[in-house]
Amino acid sequence: MTRLTLQNCRIRIGTSGYSYPEWIDAGVYPPGTRAADMLSVYARLFSATELNYTWYQMPRAAAIDRMRQKVPADFGFAAKLTRTLTHEIKAAQWQDEAARYRDGMAPLVQSGQLLAVLMQFPPGFDRSRDHRVYLAALLDALAGLPLAVEFRNASWAVGPVFDELKNRHVTLAAVDAPELPGLFPPLSVVTCPDRFYIRFHGRNARGWRSGNMQKQFDYNYTEPELTEWIDQRILKMAGQTKNGVIFFNNHVRGQAVGNATRLAAMLAGSSTG
Amino acid sequence: MPPGWRRCWPVRRRADPMPRAIIHLNIADFAVAVERQMDPRLKGRPVIIARAAAARAVVYDMSEEAYAGGVRKGMPIRRAMRRMPGATVLPPHPDCYERAMGALLKRVLPYSPLIEPGEDDGHLFVDVTGTSRLFGPSVDVAWRLHREIRTDLGLDPIWSVAANKLVAKVATRVVKPVGEYIVGAGDESAFMAPLSLELVPGINAGDLSRLKEFNLTRARHVAALQLSQLAVPFGHRARFLYAAVRGIDSSPVRPQNQMRYQSVVDYTFDDDTNDRSVLEGRVYALTEAAALDLRCRGLAARRVRIVLDHSDGVRRVRHQIVSPATANDRVLFKIARSALHQAWTRRVRVRYLRLVCDRLCLPPAQLPLFDAERSAMKKRNHLIDTLDRIRGRFGHDAVRVGRTLAACQAAP
Repeated sequence: MTRLTLQNCRIRIGTSGYSYPEWIDAGVYPPGTRAADMLSVYARLFSATELNYTWYQMPRAAAIDRMRQKVPADFGFAAKLTRTLTHEIKAAQWQDEAARYRDGMAPLVQSGQLLAVLMQFPPGFDRSRDHRVYLAALLDALAGLPLAVEFRNASWAVGPVFDELKNRHVTLAAVDAPELPGLFPPLSVVTCPDRFYIRFHGRNARGWRSGNMQKQFDYNYTEPELTEWIDQRILKMAGQTKNGVIFFNNHVRGQAVGNATRLAAMLAGSSTG
Repeated sequence: MPPGWRRCWPVRRRADPMPRAIIHLNIADFAVAVERQMDPRLKGRPVIIARAAAARAVVYDMSEEAYAGGVRKGMPIRRAMRRMPGATVLPPHPDCYERAMGALLKRVLPYSPLIEPGEDDGHLFVDVTGTSRLFGPSVDVAWRLHREIRTDLGLDPIWSVAANKLVAKVATRVVKPVGEYIVGAGDESAFMAPLSLELVPGINAGDLSRLKEFNLTRARHVAALQLSQLAVPFGHRARFLYAAVRGIDSSPVRPQNQMRYQSVVDYTFDDDTNDRSVLEGRVYALTEAAALDLRCRGLAARRVRIVLDHSDGVRRVRHQIVSPATANDRVLFKIARSALHQAWTRRVRVRYLRLVCDRLCLPPAQLPLFDAERSAMKKRNHLIDTLDRIRGRFGHDAVRVGRTLAACQAAP
């Protein structure tokens, strides 16, 4: 259900993260589910997940390999790039960090389960010269990995950026977020024919800058909002790419699970219809 | 239940345990970190904390640079200076470390009622189990705490998140002096397996020496043995070893508010001393203050702890059980004095004393069975009641116990 083919594009739908104890109370996981078993249960519901913890901590190959063994061989992972490469960059260290990240993800690369590496930059990362130079160097350092870039600053929404991403076969992540000044807009620009990458963050404008994830990602998408995304963006992007991943980040009270399941059903309906 | 999602299992039962999430914050070389925060010129330079002026002074703490040069805690300062001649030597400032620990605690308090601080050593356990609906995932809380402490206090703690205290503590030891480690739930045993047994808290020098005799140096070596096999050389310690090397630990994080259920009094000598009568006199004075506090709160102590700082920065801590629980000065003093002599085994002078009465409870109602004991107890209590009344009316110094005079005369 959460893996479907649309216009010859293989689409996987899932959620950003899976290890949420509150999802037990929300009814997503059975009562008594141990934290260690959540991924196995999740893999029965979805065909892919986005790893959030790799943003907090540099991935370690041994731990990634143990995690990989908990899911079926055809289950896919997208992984966030570590914060020391996107939010807390140290000029003298980042190249070593990039090499360590690559080493940490090796088990997923070797097993063919790495769908994408998500490079999510903070709102303060604008299109200044220094940032452009850094981004180019980082893309070089991580070349060969299936890269996707998510900007949170609107200054990057210009043609030359899209052209350069196309040259490098790097995916521009399309995001749904509250309409706030300065935020990167929701676009359907395809910069890599191999894959598109969509993230639904929710549209909680009041909680977005609260600094508390429980407020920032507390949102439930309505059916018209999802329909609008299908009609205006997803079908178009699917027509231009071979693969696509869609993740819901509005994890609060398990709303991401409900929305992901609903979107999958709607897309399945549109593919058969 | 999320909209659009149909639950296919029964609702949660009350007995189902919530997966635990424990954050451990560990400020490496805490004393040095606090000194550097007070004097940024020390950053990047080898620093040794020791009372260099004292005879036979030993190293209290040292920076990573000094450690790399071969300096170790407890090493005589002369030897340490031979190994790291350019190091800056600073005297210990326990009061500053205590204040820094208090500030650290204040940062963490909003996130959980279950916080267990270490003994002014920059260690802190925070149990954030069940708080995700309020504050978000535990890793995000840990990262935010780290960011706040670094920005606001100028300290850079190592942080870890794990399912229990033991694994969380090992995780911060693994990445010391900086970094973070998230041990995924269910990953505890695999995480511990390749690690040196020296990293496992609770495995003492005696255990390590015995384990080495069997050529067991890694957690996986011990984990390969069954409990019955471990029990042969280790007896009752086998159960602990069996669990620890597998990353099993059910010990709770002691709630922060439990810390208030104790009576703490302390004293810093203006001139460091190793005069027995002065020390015992001061312990009596401290006992009087703590016992009065207990009586005012209608409580009695079941344990007495003595913390003693020597001139060279070495700290000794010993405790004694009080049975039955009491708030009587004279009874508590006998036990505190015994703890003092357990802690005070070095010839180096003493700079600081702290007396802690904890494990508090309501005073026992049971009287001694025999007349003579009952009469002695009544007499003791009557004496204390009388002293309290006199002091309540005329001030604390209106009446004194002779034993405290030596301590008072020693003070200027």
